[in-house]
Amino acid sequence: MPLGYRLWSLYRTLFRRDRVERDLDAELTSFVDELAARNAANGMSPGEARRSALLEAGGVEQVKERVRDARTGVWLEQLLQDARIALRMLARSPGFTAVAVATMALGIGANTAIFSVVDGVLLRPAPFRDIDRLAMVWETDRHSGTTREPASVPDYLDFKARSSSFDAIAGLSAREVSLSLEGTDPVRLAAMGVTGDLFSMVGVTPVAGRGFDAGEEQLGGPDVALISESLWQRAFGRDPNVVGRTLRLDEKPHVVVGVLPDAADFGTLQILGAAAYARGFADRDARAHVEVWLPLRPDPVSYPRDTHGVFMLGRLAPGAALSTAAQESTAIAADLERAYPSNAGRGVFVEPLEEVVFGPVRPPLFVLLGAVGLVLLVASVNVANLLLARGAARRREAAIRSALGASGSRLSRQFLVEGVVLMLIAGAAGGLLALGGVKALVGIAPGDVPRLSMVTLDLRVLGIALAVSIAVGLVFGMVPTLQARRLDLQSTLKGEGPAQASSGRSRRRLRSLLVAGEVAMAVMLVIAAGLLLRSFWELWRVDPGFRAAGTLKAEYQLPPTRYPVSFAAFPDFKEMHAFTAALLREAAALPAVESAAIAGNHPLDPGFTNSFQVVGRESEARNWPEISVRRVTPGYFRTVGLALQDGRLLEERDETREAPVLLLNEAAAERFFPGTASLGAHIRLWGTERTVVGVVANERIHGLVEAAPPCVYLPLAQAPSFNGAGVLLLRTAGRDPLALAPSVRAMVRKVDPELAVFGIEPLSETLSRSVSTRRFTMLVVGLFAFLALALAAIGIHGVLSYGVALRTREIGLRMALGADAAGVVRLVIGEGLVLALAGLALGLAGALALTRVLATLLFGVSPTDPATFAAIALFLLLVAAAASGIPAWRAARIDPVVALRSE
Amino acid sequence: MTPSRDDTSTLLRGTLGLLILRTLELQPLHGLAIADRIAQVTRGTFRVPAGSLFPALHRLEQGGWIRGEWTFTGDGRRVKTYSLTAPGRRKLATEQRNWARTVAAMSQVLGS
Repeated sequence: MPLGYRLWSLYRTLFRRDRVERDLDAELTSFVDELAARNAANGMSPGEARRSALLEAGGVEQVKERVRDARTGVWLEQLLQDARIALRMLARSPGFTAVAVATMALGIGANTAIFSVVDGVLLRPAPFRDIDRLAMVWETDRHSGTTREPASVPDYLDFKARSSSFDAIAGLSAREVSLSLEGTDPVRLAAMGVTGDLFSMVGVTPVAGRGFDAGEEQLGGPDVALISESLWQRAFGRDPNVVGRTLRLDEKPHVVVGVLPDAADFGTLQILGAAAYARGFADRDARAHVEVWLPLRPDPVSYPRDTHGVFMLGRLAPGAALSTAAQESTAIAADLERAYPSNAGRGVFVEPLEEVVFGPVRPPLFVLLGAVGLVLLVASVNVANLLLARGAARRREAAIRSALGASGSRLSRQFLVEGVVLMLIAGAAGGLLALGGVKALVGIAPGDVPRLSMVTLDLRVLGIALAVSIAVGLVFGMVPTLQARRLDLQSTLKGEGPAQASSGRSRRRLRSLLVAGEVAMAVMLVIAAGLLLRSFWELWRVDPGFRAAGTLKAEYQLPPTRYPVSFAAFPDFKEMHAFTAALLREAAALPAVESAAIAGNHPLDPGFTNSFQVVGRESEARNWPEISVRRVTPGYFRTVGLALQDGRLLEERDETREAPVLLLNEAAAERFFPGTASLGAHIRLWGTERTVVGVVANERIHGLVEAAPPCVYLPLAQAPSFNGAGVLLLRTAGRDPLALAPSVRAMVRKVDPELAVFGIEPLSETLSRSVSTRRFTMLVVGLFAFLALALAAIGIHGVLSYGVALRTREIGLRMALGADAAGVVRLVIGEGLVLALAGLALGLAGALALTRVLATLLFGVSPTDPATFAAIALFLLLVAAAASGIPAWRAARIDPVVALRSE
Repeated sequence: MTPSRDDTSTLLRGTLGLLILRTLELQPLHGLAIADRIAQVTRGTFRVPAGSLFPALHRLEQGGWIRGEWTFTGDGRRVKTYSLTAPGRRKLATEQRNWARTVAAMSQVLGS
């Protein structure tokens, strides 16, 4: 066939449809006229001639339909036509369309959003070269049972020198620096001190300049820094000649030697977050991004073997196995333990970097993925149910249309197209939802989820979700066709015969099965959500030991330039003490402040630990864990509401030059003075003997989940910080502690105009952030559970309503025979409860098998907690009864007279 | 042997186009006239129902082998009359040759 004609026909078929149709109509009319004329010529009466002509033509509409089928491009035209009809049909039943679209859109949207996050965080390859060869070499402390500690500088140097399984070991330590840019308040930046081999080890190359050179790594080397891309942008407007320019960091000019890509920051937050202490900025800002990289300069003189502050990251030598490296490292640790008393109880724990970074987020993300998958399943089942019900309702329509000339295949295509159109609309809506969902998830997700900033809507994922939904549309779009195949035109057109009622019954059985499955899935989700909620509740009920409500914290770090420190002067750092006193004086003058304190660490900052001895029991100390050292001003206990258990609190009289004292917390008193009096005992710490003057309650400094470790409280005046770090705590009478923030800034500016204040937030927020991953998981699973439950309720309602509609006559008959309304209601609700019970049994069994995966996310509740299971079973039955209520009410209102007459 | 209705339609499926082209080779005709002519020439072997005739006509027209035009019959009724186009003539020639070959081959097989 010549191409030109083909295109012309296609054009006419698609764009000149009206003309072509009019033409066809005229042609067939004339054909019938001709036939009639011929019949009349053969002697028939005009009426008879016409009737016979019509008969002979064999149904004008069917002929037309066959001609249309023969046209070029007919499939395309019909597809468009089908789509138009589909849209019209969908618009005609807005309720059905809205429910179906909303259901699937939620399923698709939620799945795409969650999967985008999981994919972005977990599944995409890590930005580091050979991440599978990188491992953290943690030190462990057998006495305290901690497994992830930083090493001391001498230990680090020993590991580096002796290890052969690791071909490189880099040292890292968290720092913070304040940056002063011209004309702005100084700001606090997250920084990392690193050894220069880190960058080549992990395969990060500077985008400008170079890494640290050997001279810069030496002790006493020049003040240099590498900066992040974002700081490059912020401070230098991406100046290509940035190398050689200077930045004022901690009030000292530093020469910028290079710019690192933002991806270089990968994993630092997770490494610090996993650590037992020395977590630096990870405790303060869960979304901190490393902006400045400084040479670590491991100096064994100022950082001796009992001071732990360097994290070790090793790269396995080619061919070396992780287990070999672990064995070798353990052997090295054992050697060090024998050689140095301060290493008593120290071992090592080699952990793959991937595990450190992704390990903690894997369980919650996979739980979310499972939950959202269940939601999609429930959504699909619900839509399937809707389509099934609709298919039944449309058998009449199918019959009418086939009587009007639609061929069987044309009808099936119509229904298929309708299903696909429906799902495409749902897919588009789902895509929009996913877009918003990803943004919302990233917004509310806890910041310590790695790579969160790189999460974007994944188009592949959306594509897959769309494909799945189209498949659902196709499969269930086929249902009315299959039903139409067995269609008896006559009886369907006349109305429901007895045959229909029974085939309706078999369809109802299928729908009931679907609904029971849906209920089962909802039950599993609701139980998961219930367990998470219960855990969160338990967690929230834990007494942290301090009062967070109404307390504001603000952090700072005094630069050594203006606040000099030295071993010789300790603890009499005059400038520092003067600053502390001045700041507290200012704070006390604020009218809203009830009490104020300054501490080395706020109550949720684990701070650092040290070894110590009880005078007279020195030999026991070898088996003791290190103790957490808290340094506070006397107002601390009142400010955070820490209760005194025994003896006295720290007081103003515990001055720098007065007799050294300390307090123990209960955990320390029980652990180190079991059954003996701790008051009056002498404790040797940092070479000073201190008298125990009191015992205070436990504070959960490691967060709500972990019990309080043994702690000592030293007067800040007698134990100032070497690095100048401090935190101001204010207890306010007002409801909103944050209202104090401007006064705090003004106050600090007054005492020291150049000092950066950071981390200003209510302590309650700090506390709430410490459980943010749990809250996030609970919220999202809870939302999904609610969705699934709502869908299941809709499913139960739908099946029962359909059943009632189908059995109007039967119910009418029952009522005519004396059944009362209550009986009918019982009948319908009973059916709903049977559905619910079947689903419940399945769901409970599934939950028993599956909630184990939640174990790591639970707190204070077992994965098979009977109370939760029972409560949710009861709740579900209530929901089912409520969902059955409307159809039951409708059934009870059936008027027997009308019902019996209606057919 | 008188073919049943079903036989007729199967028979027509492959050959109807050829029959129409051949019929129109002699003179332009409208739909009913084409059907009548085919029935007449085949002495009733092929009675072409409207449901087969019109799809075939439209298929041929779309292929560019015939062209339909509105004309008037002798007694003034408006009808759509189809005539053979130049490509239609060539097509007919090709198809006739093919047909002759097929028939010869079939006869050889069936007659031997």
